[in-house]
Amino acid sequence: MSDGATIALTAMLVATACGLLGPFLVLRGQALLSDAVSHAVLPGIVAVFLLFGTRASVPVILGATAFAAICVLGIDAFRNSGLVRADAAIGLVFPTLFALGVIGITSFASGAHIDLDATIYGEIAFTPFRTVDLFGVEVARAIPIVGTVAAVNLALVVALWKELKGTSFDPEFSRTTGFSPAIVSRVLVLAVAVTAVVSFESVGAILVVTLLIVPAAAARMLTDRLALTVAATVAIGWVSALGGYGSAVALDASIAGAMGMVATGCFALALLAAPRYGVLARLAQRRRRRRRVAELLDRAGAA
Amino acid sequence: MGWLIDLLPLSYTESVVLVGATVLGVTAGVLGAFAVLRQRSLLGDALSHAALPGVAIAFVATGAKDASSLAVGAAFACLVGAVLVVAIERTGRLRPDTAIGVVLAGFFSLGIVMLTYLANFNNANQAGLDSYLFGQAAGMLLGDVEAMTVLCVLALAAIAVAYKPLKTTLFDTGFAGAAGLPVRAIELAMTAMLVVAVVVGIRTVGAILMVALLIVPTVVARQLTGRLATLLAVAGVTGAAVGATGALISVSSELPTGPVIVLVGFAAATAAVLLAPGRGVAWNARRLLRERRRTLAEGVLIDLETALHAGPPPTAAELTLASGRPASAVRRALRDLDRAGMLAADGDRLRLTDSGAAAAHALIERRELWTLWLEHGWRIELPDAREPDPTDLRASLGDEYADRLVALAGARAEDAR
Repeated sequence: MSDGATIALTAMLVATACGLLGPFLVLRGQALLSDAVSHAVLPGIVAVFLLFGTRASVPVILGATAFAAICVLGIDAFRNSGLVRADAAIGLVFPTLFALGVIGITSFASGAHIDLDATIYGEIAFTPFRTVDLFGVEVARAIPIVGTVAAVNLALVVALWKELKGTSFDPEFSRTTGFSPAIVSRVLVLAVAVTAVVSFESVGAILVVTLLIVPAAAARMLTDRLALTVAATVAIGWVSALGGYGSAVALDASIAGAMGMVATGCFALALLAAPRYGVLARLAQRRRRRRRVAELLDRAGAA
Repeated sequence: MGWLIDLLPLSYTESVVLVGATVLGVTAGVLGAFAVLRQRSLLGDALSHAALPGVAIAFVATGAKDASSLAVGAAFACLVGAVLVVAIERTGRLRPDTAIGVVLAGFFSLGIVMLTYLANFNNANQAGLDSYLFGQAAGMLLGDVEAMTVLCVLALAAIAVAYKPLKTTLFDTGFAGAAGLPVRAIELAMTAMLVVAVVVGIRTVGAILMVALLIVPTVVARQLTGRLATLLAVAGVTGAAVGATGALISVSSELPTGPVIVLVGFAAATAAVLLAPGRGVAWNARRLLRERRRTLAEGVLIDLETALHAGPPPTAAELTLASGRPASAVRRALRDLDRAGMLAADGDRLRLTDSGAAAAHALIERRELWTLWLEHGWRIELPDAREPDPTDLRASLGDEYADRLVALAGARAEDAR
């Protein structure tokens, strides 16, 4: 497989994995959890490097997952105290964990080649160079890893469709019909954390955060139906992956950044031109309504 | 401000960092309150990421890594980002957190593309622009601190002058609009002030850590007070204390300043959430524990009175059997009753002292009164919205209505016969 195809395929798999979960995060007002997790895993990665001197995938993913879990549980603990709102809880916990990671780097590992960007958080441009032997065929390591995550997410969303739908739109109703919103929420958040951690390691943090939030936000502008939202999210993610790769090659700029730009472009387009909820559609609707009211008033005046 | 620097018993650089961190703490604390109370705590997160393309544009425009022009570029991009967040929210389809997330991701992606694109032009000077977002407290100059102080004083003065409109818009936007306040302009001004704090903070503690510095003081202050004016003052003081403590610790331990400040802030916020008087988690747990213990003692007191009424004084073991409670619970309740002087031991048999008997009778009467209220309370029309309290109906309703309840219940019982 050519390098370009590998990068594009990896990005599409990440877009699928993220796109399956993103709409639920956006619906539940938890979109920024992905950003929080992406920063909170830093001490896990640093700790693994300091303790075992390795940046190999498996230990790094385990260390990062541990701190993603600490982050999520910490946020829950603050929120459940009833004294701190969800957004403030997120903003208290993740900078603290990030600060721990920075202190770890500067005080123990400054000599080693470990810094805050590509080396730690992964860089999608490097995926073709890190290969693994799979049934006698040499493929980029990221493809089976991210592919597995995407498959697991798909299975999860299909299996828990009814529960996710119910708890996202009406937690009170779900509680009365017998499935706990808290448990479904935990499962979702855990899936997001694992997806984020595994994908960071392959393609970098900012791309994962972007693909979890932006396509879902765009899809939310387009349709009211949940199944269509999820499908549209994944589709927009694919468009971003392919378009982003093309424009990155053309501009000779960061691939992850270009994919994020295309995704944001899709969102801007949806925000403006979405059929029912877009800004333009709303303006037209308002103008029509105004004209009708004016007409009615005229008629009333004439009579 | 030179005199202040000279006054401190620290080296010049350390004094500058200390004063800078303190001023930043005050600014972030007071301005952050307006974001946190509107549940836009993470706006600071989006703004600090949004600074990246601004830095890149400023670099392209001036061709130099001059601190003040980079700061202006960052401020401009932040402001655009903030306006976009509010605009996306206003379309009504997406929640605030999604709006923040979209702006964060979009601007940061744009910044990365710009920086990598710049790197193609072989201009070695651009290297290190991306580390702008990580902050460099040790690189703070006296001039920076003076500029920060001026901005801080201006922002505080603006808040003092426009306190009432700000407060109204903050807590009830709809009312503020109806009362004729320029709500949009006020919101824009609030956001612009937040931008000032973020841009100042990024240089000092870095983008991510700035997020915490905006939130921590308000979380602490909110646990201590429910009044906005007090909250702003407490938040300012907390911010200053966190900044100063963090700076001092980092100076003496040679750890990076920004992260240490954030860790100190987290400790302060956790302590406030746990220990805040009347509200904190530990405080509530203690209250609950006491309440449980008191209820248990009352239950056992009634059990004992009932047993004494029915036959000879019971032993502790007999009482446990009769009350159907765990032996350990009964033991603890008896200890509490004994400490309150309500028990008179007679060998291993238990009796009540006079005060114990009086307490038991009062308790039984109170419980009976509540039972009557549940059965007949609806027949009594209360003159106002007083709340019947199950533990003490007589005190909560007043003697007049308690007596009327008893009389009413007696008459109904008479009728039934």
